[in-house]
Amino acid sequence: MRPVSRTTQLYDYHAKHAKLTEFAGYDMPLWYSTTTEEHLAVRNDSGIFDVSHMARFEVGGEHATGFLEELVPTSVESQPPGKAFYTLLLNERGGIIDDLIIERLGADRYMVVVNAANHQADLRHMMDRAPSGLAIRDMTEDSAMIAIQGPASSASLQPLTDLDLSQLKRFRCAEAKVAGEDALISRTGYTGEDGFEVIVYRTSTANPQGALKVWDRLASTSAPCGLGARDSLRLEAGLPLHGSDIDQETDPFEADLTWVMTAGKTGYVGAGALAKYRDHGPATVRRGLVVESGIPRHGFEITVDSSPVGSVTSGTFSPLLRKGVALCRVKSDRSALGDRVGVLIRDARQDGTITKPPFYDERLYGWKRQKGN
Amino acid sequence: MEVHGYQILEGLLYTKEHEWAKQEGAVVKIGITDYAAKTLNDVVYVAAPKPKSKVVHMKSMGTVESIKAVSEVYSPISGEVARNNGDLDTHPELVNKAPYGEGWLVEVTPSNFAAEAKSLLDAKAYAAYLNTLLAK
Repeated sequence: MRPVSRTTQLYDYHAKHAKLTEFAGYDMPLWYSTTTEEHLAVRNDSGIFDVSHMARFEVGGEHATGFLEELVPTSVESQPPGKAFYTLLLNERGGIIDDLIIERLGADRYMVVVNAANHQADLRHMMDRAPSGLAIRDMTEDSAMIAIQGPASSASLQPLTDLDLSQLKRFRCAEAKVAGEDALISRTGYTGEDGFEVIVYRTSTANPQGALKVWDRLASTSAPCGLGARDSLRLEAGLPLHGSDIDQETDPFEADLTWVMTAGKTGYVGAGALAKYRDHGPATVRRGLVVESGIPRHGFEITVDSSPVGSVTSGTFSPLLRKGVALCRVKSDRSALGDRVGVLIRDARQDGTITKPPFYDERLYGWKRQKGN
Repeated sequence: MEVHGYQILEGLLYTKEHEWAKQEGAVVKIGITDYAAKTLNDVVYVAAPKPKSKVVHMKSMGTVESIKAVSEVYSPISGEVARNNGDLDTHPELVNKAPYGEGWLVEVTPSNFAAEAKSLLDAKAYAAYLNTLLAK
């Protein structure tokens, strides 16, 4: 038996304009035109994504900061209101339950945005540890979320809001009106490009007008993009996908995400397990991989001198490089940047190189790009 | 003719795995159908068998890949590859642009064409098959 798919508030638009696919229980757009066109629209101009399937929890109450402090390896208390940050939920073994964005809206008020596939698991993890007096409100059903990504994303979004986007720096957030709707805007995303994620408040599948209004207005200047481009863009940027590249059995050291761990922070769930790395590094580590021919896919074996040294965790064809690229897990002593490896693609060993993503030239693409290019 | 917006050419033979075959003198040209190409959305890589390699009726002979998906290509007929379409190395998008033309995959010197052709569908039968498939 298969559960009936859920839909986001923008479903009618997707059903009319996109090829649909099922993802995390939702009927979502896979592509509207082609994945390559949508991918390049985001790298060169701007694109919009319906990411309403991602779960959103509002956490509030006088213990909110202390509560989140115990859940993540990143210092919460030192984040000022108006700051958004990427972090991890860990289990007691230090394994990654999920990766997420936390937006600090006020002294005691946060928006926690997590992966759709981990919606219930994350909520349970949080509820189990919630002190009395803390309010965790699941906002997923009565809000929508739209990502606007690409070098022209600011120009696309600015006409819809009075908030001066030039003053909203990367990983900052602010509540504001968007197309007349109450919304939360953060300068974040999952493409490697400059861009925004807008949570439209007080809109639902029964009353989707607010979400549709924002989407329609953005669609006049940005290309609607499906999950196909979302995946190729995040992979090209080297951003991990939970469930493929990182999971409950991977810790931040293996995931090469130790930068989220605030130096000296202790006392959070999983901190004890991670203390084992004080003297030595992990046995395997996440890396990037570029192959000369063919497209590496999940599960493909990586070898050095015919001996297995790791495997591909997710791979795709990079529209910018015109080559197969992947994230992979390799033995730490075989993880040096520039190391030559073999990748077994359909019975043929292809030459590959271990790299540190993003896979594109950061002077030309991505949010750090030199302006004017 | 067209079925649900997918083009089907008269005069070709088809498989239920959405490949086509066309006899051209001593060789049989093989490709994937418009439906297969459009379903993949944007072909970015083609792994076709090299000249002189053997292909077998309804066995996998290679892959056509989009950014997201890998699709096996089954050979409509048995034989030896005479030539593959080198243009696809640099322009795999030809499979989308002209699946029955410049987007062809291989030319095969058939070893048992007359017998194997009987198990393939003509344009009308493939159209009917596609209709049933898409009506679901």
